[in-house]
Amino acid sequence: MAASISGYTFSSVCYHSANSNSDHEGFLLGEVRHEETVSISDTQISSSELLQVVEVHNHEPCAQLFSFYDYAGQVNEESLNRILKDRRKNVIGWYRFRRNTQQQMSFREQIIHKQLTQLLGVPDLVFLLFSFISTANNSTHALEYVLFRPNRRYNQRVTLSIPNLGNTSQQEYKVSSVPNTSLNYAKVIKEHGAEFFDKDGVMKDIRTIFQVYGALQDKVQSVCGEVEQSERVKEKVQEEVNKLKQQIVLRKRKTTNEERRLQEAQNPEPRLTPEENTEPPETSLLSRVAFHTPSTPERPGPSANPPAYADLLSLQNDSLLPFSSSPTSAALLPRPQAVGSPGHPSPSPLGLGLSAGPNPAPSPGTPYLGNGDGSSSDSLDRQAAGQEDDDEEEDDDDGSSEYENLVSEVGQLPPVSASVLLQGRPAALSPDGDASVRGSQT
Amino acid sequence: MAVSAVHLESDAFLVCMNHALSTEKEEVMGLCIGEVDTNRIVHIHSVIILRRSDKRKDRVEISPEQLSSAATEAERLADMTGRPMRVVGWYHSHPHITVWPSHVGKNQSTPLPHQFHNFSFHCHGKLFQLVCLRHSFSTTDVRTQAMYQMMDQGFVGLIFSCFIEDKNTKTGRVLYTCFQSVQAQKGSEYERIEIPIHVVPHEAIGKVCLESAVELPRILCQEEQDTYRKIHSLTHLDPITKIHNGSVFTKNLCSQMSAVSGPLLQWLEDRLEQNRQSVIELQLEKERLTQELATM
Repeated sequence: MAASISGYTFSSVCYHSANSNSDHEGFLLGEVRHEETVSISDTQISSSELLQVVEVHNHEPCAQLFSFYDYAGQVNEESLNRILKDRRKNVIGWYRFRRNTQQQMSFREQIIHKQLTQLLGVPDLVFLLFSFISTANNSTHALEYVLFRPNRRYNQRVTLSIPNLGNTSQQEYKVSSVPNTSLNYAKVIKEHGAEFFDKDGVMKDIRTIFQVYGALQDKVQSVCGEVEQSERVKEKVQEEVNKLKQQIVLRKRKTTNEERRLQEAQNPEPRLTPEENTEPPETSLLSRVAFHTPSTPERPGPSANPPAYADLLSLQNDSLLPFSSSPTSAALLPRPQAVGSPGHPSPSPLGLGLSAGPNPAPSPGTPYLGNGDGSSSDSLDRQAAGQEDDDEEEDDDDGSSEYENLVSEVGQLPPVSASVLLQGRPAALSPDGDASVRGSQT
Repeated sequence: MAVSAVHLESDAFLVCMNHALSTEKEEVMGLCIGEVDTNRIVHIHSVIILRRSDKRKDRVEISPEQLSSAATEAERLADMTGRPMRVVGWYHSHPHITVWPSHVGKNQSTPLPHQFHNFSFHCHGKLFQLVCLRHSFSTTDVRTQAMYQMMDQGFVGLIFSCFIEDKNTKTGRVLYTCFQSVQAQKGSEYERIEIPIHVVPHEAIGKVCLESAVELPRILCQEEQDTYRKIHSLTHLDPITKIHNGSVFTKNLCSQMSAVSGPLLQWLEDRLEQNRQSVIELQLEKERLTQELATM
């Protein structure tokens, strides 16, 4: 089997993944065709081989995780149809983007894959896994990708090629003609060769192909213009939605505060424990809104999505933090399991993470800022090869993820970094690896 | 003094990836447009795909005209955003060559190609010519970067490494790295400083980035046309050779259309459709939230 994906589709998946604060997934659309190759050998006159070629034409990104399956990995066909609509018949696979994980399908992914195979009626559905890793000092990042055929034995891997322009050098042009003194040769090629040229001496084919190119480029420009307009419209509506969400949160907080004041006025008892105190206004909303993870996880249906991490971040923008912070320390954010780091962090319970107030605990210093000794490079290679890493807490069964480690590390950040975290999106909790705990299920 | 970090907007990152993945036989390059803040963080908002005046494999040339065009583009972006924009760095691709830093990944399964390369580039009217050994992170890149830094200490270099595959595990890899140059303490050689780089989310693709993205087929066609014009102006060629050259031009243009323009158009159409769907869903959500707010 061979597989290919266009560079633009590949880049688009990378783009969506970079914009995602958590794992990202979606569907691969394209077609599968069969190519017959005939070969002749000494033993056989001819032997034909049928090669299955998977061509990925584009992708359908899912807006968030658990959009078509629940925590148990049960796929909801209705949600699937809502996402795919009439593109369902073009699905040839699906993909997942994860950060700092091994190149292996998780248990949940295998379960989902089996169900998708059945529901979509694609016996050889493929799965494309992207894994993102970085050096400890964040100067170099790698996106590794593997295409699996999970329905085949041993979860077969297939090389994914990216067709491209190849060699664009103009070495094929000839700057001189082959010397020939034959008068007949010169006469014949001049007489019959003239058919190829117009009255200006330009080859007719060149004018024709240039017209084709011109028309294509005009169309590209035109569609580009439409895309640009649609991007602005989307931006505007997204902004309106974000504002509404903020207003709702503020309204809820105001209501909660009023209720609490009313309750305190009615029951004027001494304050009990620090945890039950009203939090200072400077405290981020995040400490109260996020991470109410119960001991036994709920199992919402695919339509009951957890609050998006972006929403939580947007709340922070309205937090009552008195100080303004600079993004300087975005460069110094630790990255667990990074290449070149001395070791892996120990996981800590959820909820420690992003509740840093104005004066967070001083950091012992992150261990991940580039000692650069390459001590994890071997583990990186083994990870990239999809081999087991004995040092890791790999547990696909319960959906745990290394992102939990990030939460524990965030809580230990120095004050400047904590303020960066609380300020907002750019570089602070973003993207290339600071994933949401909630969104990091596997 | 070295910059402290680079923040690359994700839509600019998208254009860089598109460009880097456009060919595996040659290196491509472009310039980064953005600003540097008071904390020495370089913010890259868009990129400009550069045209190569010399198509030989081992040459990377930026003409003064291209730098001037880039500066003009930066001014245009400055007018649009109301922020000071300028050329803050350059990027180029390393097809089939990985760019892990030297202290990491010593057990690379893919042997690194070793070739001598003759690099030259024009900058501010001067021709810089460098000859060095190309390996995973060539001294050429470091010296080139050092030259740029002579003009602007905040100038950064990005490298996109692509078309790498581990044949054993069938794992493909795309890497990107950021660096600056510093003069080594001993001798006149330059050393590389690794600069942290983060891709910053940007949910919508900016106008400038979209325009840069669709420039690629136009640039490729212009390069082809210029080469063909020079060939076509040769008067001593016989008709068969002229037909051959014309066919080469046609063939190359067809390759560009099928490998670049076609997939680009397909991606744009898909993006348009995705945006339309997103707007519908966002409108529904907006209505729902408005109702929820009204009931509170």
